[in-house]
Amino acid sequence: MFDIIFYLFAFITIGSALIVVTARNIIYSAFSLMLTLFGVSGIYALLGADFLAVVQIMVYVGGILVLILFGVMLTNKITNVEIKSGNRNIAVSLISVSVLSAILFSVLLGTNWKETNSQIPETTLFGIGELLITKYVLVFELLGILLLIALIGAATIARKEE
Amino acid sequence: MYEYLVNILFSVTGNQFLAQASVMILIAALPLFVVILPYALAAVLAERKVSAFMQDRIGPNRTGYRGLFQTLADILKLIQKEDIINSEADKKLFNISPLLVFAGSYAAFAAIPFSGMFIGTNAEVGIFFILAISSLVVAGILMGGWASNNKYSLLGAMRSAAQIISYEIPTALVILSIVMLTGTLSLNTISELQTAYFWNWNIFGGAAEGFKQFILIPFMIAGFIILYISTLAEVNRVPFDIPEAESELVSGFHTEYSGMKFAMFFLAEYANMFAVSAIIATVFFGGYQSPFGYLGNTLNFPLLIPFEQFFWFMIKGLFFVFVQMWLRWTLPRLRVDQLMTVCWKYLIPYAFINLIIIGIISLL
Amino acid sequence: MKQYLKNTWEGLYTVIVGMKITFKHLFTPSVTIQYPEVKIPLPERSRNRLYVNIDDCIGCDQCARACPVGCIEIETVKSVPGEDLGKTSNDKKKALWVTKFDIDIAKCCFCSLCVYPCPTECIKMTDIYEYSEFERNNLVYSFSALTKEEAGEKKLNLEKFNAEKEAAKMKQAAPEPEKKQDKNEKESE
Repeated sequence: MFDIIFYLFAFITIGSALIVVTARNIIYSAFSLMLTLFGVSGIYALLGADFLAVVQIMVYVGGILVLILFGVMLTNKITNVEIKSGNRNIAVSLISVSVLSAILFSVLLGTNWKETNSQIPETTLFGIGELLITKYVLVFELLGILLLIALIGAATIARKEE
Repeated sequence: MYEYLVNILFSVTGNQFLAQASVMILIAALPLFVVILPYALAAVLAERKVSAFMQDRIGPNRTGYRGLFQTLADILKLIQKEDIINSEADKKLFNISPLLVFAGSYAAFAAIPFSGMFIGTNAEVGIFFILAISSLVVAGILMGGWASNNKYSLLGAMRSAAQIISYEIPTALVILSIVMLTGTLSLNTISELQTAYFWNWNIFGGAAEGFKQFILIPFMIAGFIILYISTLAEVNRVPFDIPEAESELVSGFHTEYSGMKFAMFFLAEYANMFAVSAIIATVFFGGYQSPFGYLGNTLNFPLLIPFEQFFWFMIKGLFFVFVQMWLRWTLPRLRVDQLMTVCWKYLIPYAFINLIIIGIISLL
Repeated sequence: MKQYLKNTWEGLYTVIVGMKITFKHLFTPSVTIQYPEVKIPLPERSRNRLYVNIDDCIGCDQCARACPVGCIEIETVKSVPGEDLGKTSNDKKKALWVTKFDIDIAKCCFCSLCVYPCPTECIKMTDIYEYSEFERNNLVYSFSALTKEEAGEKKLNLEKFNAEKEAAKMKQAAPEPEKKQDKNEKESE
């Protein structure tokens, strides 16, 4: 049962990722990216990382993707869609991609994978929460401050001083 | 419930996979047929009737007894309608968009506890999941607005997206304060914590004991008001309906849609209305818990309890849907700048102060 | 800060006031009238569809002349001596057969100007205002009591009578031109 769902999500992820790369129309790429991120989040959920899966949707689909869409829609002429993405430097990218995938594949084969029961796992929520305010509290707070700085900075830049 | 049904089906068919798959599909389809469709049928009629009564009119009363079948007639009409796609539209995205919007609002129902028995997933991340999945609606609306290749649609979609994203912040802040108080993200657990009588509801201070409960009440009411306003904005209802604003944008992002695709948007809107009402009912008003104790307990007939819970949940949810309609015929539409002012200058600061105060009280 | 809190309070308070008003209206009876079943009583002197009581009509043609849009068409035939047309309700002797009394109600402007000159008060406004038709021809109302055949018969009668009279006069070899003219006039109408 879970196998089928996994392959479904994997298919969605990889298929839409292919569209992201090959689509000529950038809007299509953006919307396929949404499907990709969604598929990844589904795989997270299947692996028992429920919190991570929801964060994936919240941050990437709800935040970043909408930002991308806004960017694309606001920066091109609405009546005359001219934004296209093309393929350039095919040879170079082919070599680098094949090298990268070779490395990944060798790592994949060389790793000692731990095998566990494929039961529905317990929620990771409480563990993450505890770790965030005990072991990683400093990092967590620093990230918070970083985001606050980014927010204030954006507001300052966007504001027109008169 | 899931294991129970799987076991039954497994003993009947003898095939583990078939049993699991069919039960999953059944559970996924159940809210649609048990709740959303009948609710949408009733709510569309109720909307028209409420609007009529508030304007001292009669409303639809020709189809069936006092117009009871008006919505059915409307649906028949929508099914028969020609499916028009304007020639300059982006056909693929145009067709996907209503599905995406409906899927987004339907997915939220997976985590809503209709009763102790009837809940799609009892995942620990329930309310967080609902907040996250509603962003799918934003993507769908943007897609529909862009694919229509119509300036009104695009403007409506842009406004809608900006509005939903802005108002997600006060919503999240208020829900965060409740999460701090209850210590869980699961809507089912939040409901269970407000059991027994109505003074245990979160709006009356929740399960906190003694004077803490009394201190909490005003902040809970403030939180409720903030949450109600911001969820109202998230479902694009009046007075926050500037994405649809029929007097300026024809009808916003679904201007170009007709027939069943339009019906999908319509259904999604009504499903969304119920979803946010259900969240409010669960977070502040005890969810599926009865305010006066259960008849099943008094009669010593425990099978009755889930049905009672379902009844109370629907009553609470429908009441808040009614309030949404009530507000619609009371308030005029906000301007875009007023909308943003309400969110960023009023709701967010209040929600933030509320969050801090509730945090301090819960630490006392 | 004070202004800020005041704004917040006003925002909430005014919403509640508005909601109170709409809630009250939720229970006030509706002002809608279910039109085909329930009708508002018309005012006493309302002007609607015209009606002609043809029994009282003396064919004086005054209404047709008064009509500003010319929607009334009247044709009359003189009666032959010996024929008794009866009397109108206010004791006026009828002398003409009204062979045609058509009102094109589609043209009528409901000015009521035809009602005032009628010496026998036989044309009047009724309170019927629902008379829409699918064809424009159906809006021409014919009030004449005589059928086409009867009208033709009356005409023939008159002609015959005139012809007899003419013949009698011819015998007397003293024809009267006035009568002829009169007859011609009738025919040309």
